[in-house]
Amino acid sequence: MALPFSGRKDGLSLSEALPDRSLFILVAMMSFLAALTLTGATGARTLSSRWAGGAAQLLTIQVSDPDQPLAGTAKAEKNAQKSRADAVLADLATLPVGTQVHRLTQEELARLLTPWLGDAGKTALPLPAVIEVRLAEGQEAPTDLEKTLDTHVPGTVVEHNAEWSTRLRALAQSLLACAALALVTVGGIATMITALATKAGLSTRRDIIEILHGLGATDSYIAGRFAGRTGGLALGGGLLGTLLAMAPLLLLFRMAAPFSASTLQAATPAMPDWRTLPDLLPGDMLTGLAALPFVAAFIGWATTQVMVRIWLRRMP
Amino acid sequence: MIRLSNVSWRRERKANAPVLSNLSFSVPQGGFRWLLGPSGAGKTSLLSLLHVENLPSDGTLCLLDKDVTAQTPRSVLVRLRQRIGMVHQNFRLMPGLSVADNVALPLRLQYRPEDEITDEVQAILKWVGLGDRLDARASRLSGGEQQRTAIARAIVHRPGLILADEPTNALEEPQAHKLLDMFSELSSMGTTVIVATHNEALVRRLPRPALVLERGRLVQDGT
Repeated sequence: MALPFSGRKDGLSLSEALPDRSLFILVAMMSFLAALTLTGATGARTLSSRWAGGAAQLLTIQVSDPDQPLAGTAKAEKNAQKSRADAVLADLATLPVGTQVHRLTQEELARLLTPWLGDAGKTALPLPAVIEVRLAEGQEAPTDLEKTLDTHVPGTVVEHNAEWSTRLRALAQSLLACAALALVTVGGIATMITALATKAGLSTRRDIIEILHGLGATDSYIAGRFAGRTGGLALGGGLLGTLLAMAPLLLLFRMAAPFSASTLQAATPAMPDWRTLPDLLPGDMLTGLAALPFVAAFIGWATTQVMVRIWLRRMP
Repeated sequence: MIRLSNVSWRRERKANAPVLSNLSFSVPQGGFRWLLGPSGAGKTSLLSLLHVENLPSDGTLCLLDKDVTAQTPRSVLVRLRQRIGMVHQNFRLMPGLSVADNVALPLRLQYRPEDEITDEVQAILKWVGLGDRLDARASRLSGGEQQRTAIARAIVHRPGLILADEPTNALEEPQAHKLLDMFSELSSMGTTVIVATHNEALVRRLPRPALVLERGRLVQDGT
């Protein structure tokens, strides 16, 4: 015959001893902040690696009056039938093997300028030709390229993305460091909150713990009971905070998506559809967000284990 | 087996006056000793020392063949406590738990199988006359019932040493005699028993060697 055991096996009643609601809410808030920070860090890291790689290999060349015939120099005489844009493309063809040269079409140019000029296809402004040059990995543009092009086709402008990329990469790495610092701070606050909650629980249950200790309860047993409770609360709080952070994160990510194109022709001012948005989210960011509740749970569990074991040291 | 050699205990490490001074005695396994002395003589302090709630400040203490010092690993002290049954003067029950859960605690802390716990708890509570109070909250028990629950909890795991601090205070005379018979029986079965009491009638009823304390010193060592 089973005995009428109450179900509360050891009298600790931790749901009454620990400030459950406060701990849950505070961990949820910490996780919310951590999720935002983590996303910021992922974005900064993505931009940093992009600027360190693709963007640094990119040159943008603008040719004014692109369809006008070339004139004024001996070489120009020879190429009298060529337009200014074609002359620049011919010069760019001499770049090392592996270099990709692409002149943006009228549609691509119009799409690029739409946010600033509206329907750029109908504008009366004379638009330059924009040529995108992607150098092969490890290749650098000839130092005299700008001078050469300007001599052959006066008024040609070469924009070296590499200069900007160095500065932007430094900026992104600073942002990354700030995000890491913010994450460490959030983790530290979560640790302190858990430690205070555990201390409160230990004070409330001091007599009960002394009885259990006297009956032969091990440190592992008592620490495990407290740590299981705080770990569970931190897991729940972490889960709620991360889920709540998903809404603003998706909104921000959707707004930032048009700026993440790696080439000018791929750039579009249109924001992605909500349904396709999850496919665009970086995998490492999703992994980080999924791990967040478990990290919160581990912080709660480990902090409580340490706190309780230190507290129990005062007893033989 | 209990053996104390020049054991002293101070409440605080730097305190000058020890609560217990130079205690030396031994009790063989299965021995029964009364622990006598006026209030404040140090009976409860000595029981706390024997229950490993405190460690000796000086001297050597050997309990159930284990040396107990400040250097003894905590795991050894825990296992030692699991082999000792203690009946406190103020019972020290878990007020929120049922009688059955209170008595089951020492077995649960040793991770015994639940069906074994059920059998042991049921038998011991029937034996102390609480067979019909299994599901009563400890906080709702009378003084006598609380005392019997505490006694049941102290012996349910068949410890090698039973320590009892005024165990018959809240009991009626027949129950007190019954408890005494039980302690005597446990002693004859090989369990060492030490009972602190003021009840002279009880001591007369069961003539056994006595350890007598006065102002923290042993004036009679039970031999």
